[in-house]
Amino acid sequence: MPIKWVLHWQPNAGTTANSQIVSEVSQCVESINEQANAVEFPRDFLGISLQEQPNKYYFVIRGQRMILEAESSIQTIMEKLQSYKTRVALNFEGFQYQLGDFQLRVGKVVPIHSENLRGIVMEMEYLPISSWEKSHQIMGEFFDIWQEALGKRSLPGHFVHIEPIFSEFGLSDQYTSQHTAVQYASIMAQMIATAQSAQAVRN
Amino acid sequence: MQQSTLPPHMAAVPGASAAESNDSNGDAPPKQVAMALERLGQASRLIADIRLGADRLLEALFVAAQPQHSSKPLHLIRKEEDSMRQHLQDLRSVGRQLEDSGVLNDSLRSRSNSWGLHMPLVCPDGAVVAYAWKRQLAGQAGASAVDRTRLALKAFNDQKRRFFPHLDTNCGGEGATKKLCGPPSTDLEETCELKTVSEVLTHLKKEVPNVITFSYQRLDWLKRATSLPSSTSENSIELSKENTFQSTTTLRQGSSDDVIPDKVAIIELLIPSVFRAIVSVSPAGSLDPDAVAFFSPDEGGSYVHARGFSVHHVFRHITEHAAMALQHFTGVGTETALLSLLLWVCSYQTLFSKVCNKCSRLLSMDKESAMLLPPVNRPYRNFCAGKFLSKSVSKEDQSVDSTQGFHIGCFSEEA
Repeated sequence: MPIKWVLHWQPNAGTTANSQIVSEVSQCVESINEQANAVEFPRDFLGISLQEQPNKYYFVIRGQRMILEAESSIQTIMEKLQSYKTRVALNFEGFQYQLGDFQLRVGKVVPIHSENLRGIVMEMEYLPISSWEKSHQIMGEFFDIWQEALGKRSLPGHFVHIEPIFSEFGLSDQYTSQHTAVQYASIMAQMIATAQSAQAVRN
Repeated sequence: MQQSTLPPHMAAVPGASAAESNDSNGDAPPKQVAMALERLGQASRLIADIRLGADRLLEALFVAAQPQHSSKPLHLIRKEEDSMRQHLQDLRSVGRQLEDSGVLNDSLRSRSNSWGLHMPLVCPDGAVVAYAWKRQLAGQAGASAVDRTRLALKAFNDQKRRFFPHLDTNCGGEGATKKLCGPPSTDLEETCELKTVSEVLTHLKKEVPNVITFSYQRLDWLKRATSLPSSTSENSIELSKENTFQSTTTLRQGSSDDVIPDKVAIIELLIPSVFRAIVSVSPAGSLDPDAVAFFSPDEGGSYVHARGFSVHHVFRHITEHAAMALQHFTGVGTETALLSLLLWVCSYQTLFSKVCNKCSRLLSMDKESAMLLPPVNRPYRNFCAGKFLSKSVSKEDQSVDSTQGFHIGCFSEEA
């Protein structure tokens, strides 16, 4: 039978052992492991769940241009494993409208368990087409019509569409919920960045 | 009336012999159903009596358990026992009569002489289905006839509008529909030699390289339509790959190469990612188109057929416009009708990219339907198969101008 050493933690005078110390020790062990492997693991990722796919959960790592589709039960698995912790959780909630063959969703971005508005998001959907390329012109025109309508109200700001290069994520021209997840990932990254810069300005 | 003499009506007396149910089979259906309803009522009254009897028995037993009374409960119990026995017997015989007349089972549904009226059906949970009957029996037949006439008139008007739009008052210039194409060119002579659907499709594929065509016998179309993946399924990409693999094997049976030429009745034109059009020819094997409909390439289901309507407004509008184009093409010349129609259908491949020729925009708000639509109206009056065929791949500038599209509001009949 192999031999083992058993150690016990001797707290300094005036201190007690607590769970914070336990997690620090675990992290230390993990970092030794990491150094040994000398591989850079991404520190954080974006997790997205969409209303139209209640059974799915999407992981996006923008730096590595990765998207992964999993069952929504993966969240409970990760909680149990305690391998990743939620840093920020945002909810996109609002109303849905139907305009002929177009479907619009206007939503506010609020952190979970909070009422502060962090941002405004819109979804524009054209139902008859599934091809990203074929829809480009018509969506562009609809976007212009929308900007025009909104411009009449003189609001301090405007909507922006970031177009991710889907092929880098391994996605095809046929639109799927994974494409949606990638679009949300870029929006979230943008919003976190602006929130942080706003914080810096305030400070 | 089917029977000249009816057997004398025999009252459904409890405990009557089984011969009565045989007689009731000779009655006209309304009488059978009326008697069945009466018997059901009787049965429910008997069941209520039995319940009451059971209550009385329990009461008598309770009283017997008391120390005071002695013979009274026994007398009560005996009386109740007798009446319960009678009720149960009556119930049994009514039940047998009902069974014989087909109420408690489905046996009468298939009878052809039931005048379209069914016996009341007792469902397993006890509900009695006799609704259609009650309306007739209560003398509301008159009202339903008026409703039916109204619905029929509405349906007729819808069909008339769809299939005979030139009979509408606002469509002027009926004589223009008879206008023939320009002088026949060599290309047109070539098209006149196309005798079968497969020849037409081969010619079409030469002129329109990105179209994918299939042809089917009439009954095979339903199988294909229901196997098309619908856009609501996320797995449609994988499914469509599977389907194209499977369907190419089944389609080979239905493809233009193998289908018996005189049986082809349905033609499917697919411009990938743009639309799927279904054209039906009648009679099968001929070159006479009789219906056309447009759908999104992601739509699937039994509603996808040449007389169906897409769930998307853009394709519904195109289908309506196409019905008129079909009338025009068949009115102009039966030999070129199918080819002209198919070529015209294929001109919609630029539906989502070609701007309107009048207002130079892709999307425009249609006032009537309050919807944003691309240019869904393509002119057909001066559409000539010959003209279309004259544009070749090398003449790029010609090809840009020869197909025109208009929004509904920008479209005028003279175009």
